[in-house]
Amino acid sequence: MLSPIVLVQIVVNGVGLAAIYILVALGFTLLFGIMRVVNFAHGAFAMLGGYALYYLYSIYDVPYLVAAPVAALFVAAAALVLERFVYRRFYQKMFQSMIALLGLDMAIASTALIIWDSHERSIKPAVSDILQLGGIIVPADKLVIVAVAAIALAAFYLFTHFTRAGLAMRAAAQDVETAEAQGIDTRVTYQLSFFIAIFMAALAGGFYGQTYALSPFMGERPLMMAFIVVILGGMGSIPGVALGGLLLGLGESFLSTFYGSSVSVFVSFGAVILLLVFRPWGLLGTPEK
Amino acid sequence: MNTTTVSGLAAPRDGRALATGWPARIAIAGILALVILPLLPVGSFVLSIGTTAFITAIAAASLHLLIRTGHVSMGHAAFMGIGAYASVLVTMKLQLPFAAGLVAAFVAPAILALLIGPLVLRLAGKYFVLVTFLFGEIVRMVFVEWTTLTGGANGIPGVPPPHPRLLDPQAYYYFALGFAIVLIGFIARLLSSEIGRSIDAIREGENLAECSGVPVLRVKVCIFALSCGIVGIAGALQGHFIRYIDPTSFSMVQSLNLVVVNVIGGMYALVGPIIGTAFFMITPELLRDYVELQRVIFGIIIIVVIAFFPGGLVEIAQRRADALRGKRKVGP
Repeated sequence: MLSPIVLVQIVVNGVGLAAIYILVALGFTLLFGIMRVVNFAHGAFAMLGGYALYYLYSIYDVPYLVAAPVAALFVAAAALVLERFVYRRFYQKMFQSMIALLGLDMAIASTALIIWDSHERSIKPAVSDILQLGGIIVPADKLVIVAVAAIALAAFYLFTHFTRAGLAMRAAAQDVETAEAQGIDTRVTYQLSFFIAIFMAALAGGFYGQTYALSPFMGERPLMMAFIVVILGGMGSIPGVALGGLLLGLGESFLSTFYGSSVSVFVSFGAVILLLVFRPWGLLGTPEK
Repeated sequence: MNTTTVSGLAAPRDGRALATGWPARIAIAGILALVILPLLPVGSFVLSIGTTAFITAIAAASLHLLIRTGHVSMGHAAFMGIGAYASVLVTMKLQLPFAAGLVAAFVAPAILALLIGPLVLRLAGKYFVLVTFLFGEIVRMVFVEWTTLTGGANGIPGVPPPHPRLLDPQAYYYFALGFAIVLIGFIARLLSSEIGRSIDAIREGENLAECSGVPVLRVKVCIFALSCGIVGIAGALQGHFIRYIDPTSFSMVQSLNLVVVNVIGGMYALVGPIIGTAFFMITPELLRDYVELQRVIFGIIIIVVIAFFPGGLVEIAQRRADALRGKRKVGP
């Protein structure tokens, strides 16, 4: 049953899932690590990203490789208004942010319901070809998603490690007060991190909407997955997100192939609860004093 | 600045005066008004809203009890569901009377809480939030997947009322009101007792409480079990009232609603969840023709309350009262 071909198939599917999870979770952990904000509205931005891609690509026929980033840029730019009026009030207030952003999530999802009603839409695939390499069947669509996600992640890595603004971001993530004392303008840094986080969530939302379906409440599952990935890797840890996302994506792909999707969810949730109980700071996080 | 690690739950210094300072007269007047309400010419619709409000108030007050120890559970509705399923299964499958179902509704979630409590209550605030969040989802999935026992996603229809006479909405209204008064009264009594002071001590400073001789983990586990047991009773009351239970009634959304009720009302005094419940039940009725818009406005209200009044509606009332008192002092 477990032939090499099946195995490769599972891995490809898993990496596809992992790419989406990592994109969502990276933004989530960025907001948590730098601003100490638990963004319960993260899934809502993913949903908005999905609709933005739907309009640009499925309705106005913008070429895919342009439509995907532009849709995410658009959502992130619009979200800056919310940063100004909502998020900014809750920086460094973890518990309050959690509840308030729950309210924001409710408001955004219900607004989406008013505008687009509850019927599901679908985004047409980027490419409809199916690649066949020696018995391994891979929808080319999935590869495009993985490629775009990989480019986004690489760009994020290069940005945070080789630019001054990125360095400021990492400094703020480590210790906000010390960073401020070194002359880092945290207001700008916060805005930038927020923009990047929402950009990645919206991009992932587009992919997610393409893989599954588009509806005003589609953000719940990516949010849940971001939660799990971030807990697995350690709250606020960026390498932890990569590890957590890969583990969850591959694990889900493997378990749901052999045991069905509900078993896979049980196992991943159960594993995370055990991890939380015995090592609450996650696989790659550091314990708090 | 970094003392906010207890998830910002430390009560403002004057928060407690409110709990004991509010005259019992208001409580009695409120209860009297609720007793008289069904005698007025109101429709059965108002009565069923009232009944739902009493059940929500019990659930929210039980969560309040837990929040007072400094732990916010995002999976409280799961325990409510366990109580509901336990009671429904005992009365329908075992054909036992409702009283037995009620006992099961308290015992089943309480035992589960006793089992997981010692593990999860060691966790700091934010990790507890995450664990309960995931735990709630797991329980909901068990409800969905264990089809032979729970009827899966379709739920269990045709749940019998606790007593044939309680088919009458007015009778069930009084039935639920009675439960609400007894259970919330019990919670109020508990919070004002010595145990209540231990609870407050644990929230304000766990290590200090431990050093002062409070058996911190034991108190927390007992309160957690009690809180889950009480919410289980609320679940049973709801199941036998609606006469149908299904997994979605006890999902994450419901857990979050209970948290929201506490936050909007105010987390530092027991009146908070009660005021929050009234607000939560009445506001949507004002916007009944626009269900989606109602959720939008509700979401915005939550943001505004948290941003400007972290102590909830109770804090707003208190500020008004303080302002009035201040004026009187300045006046003469």
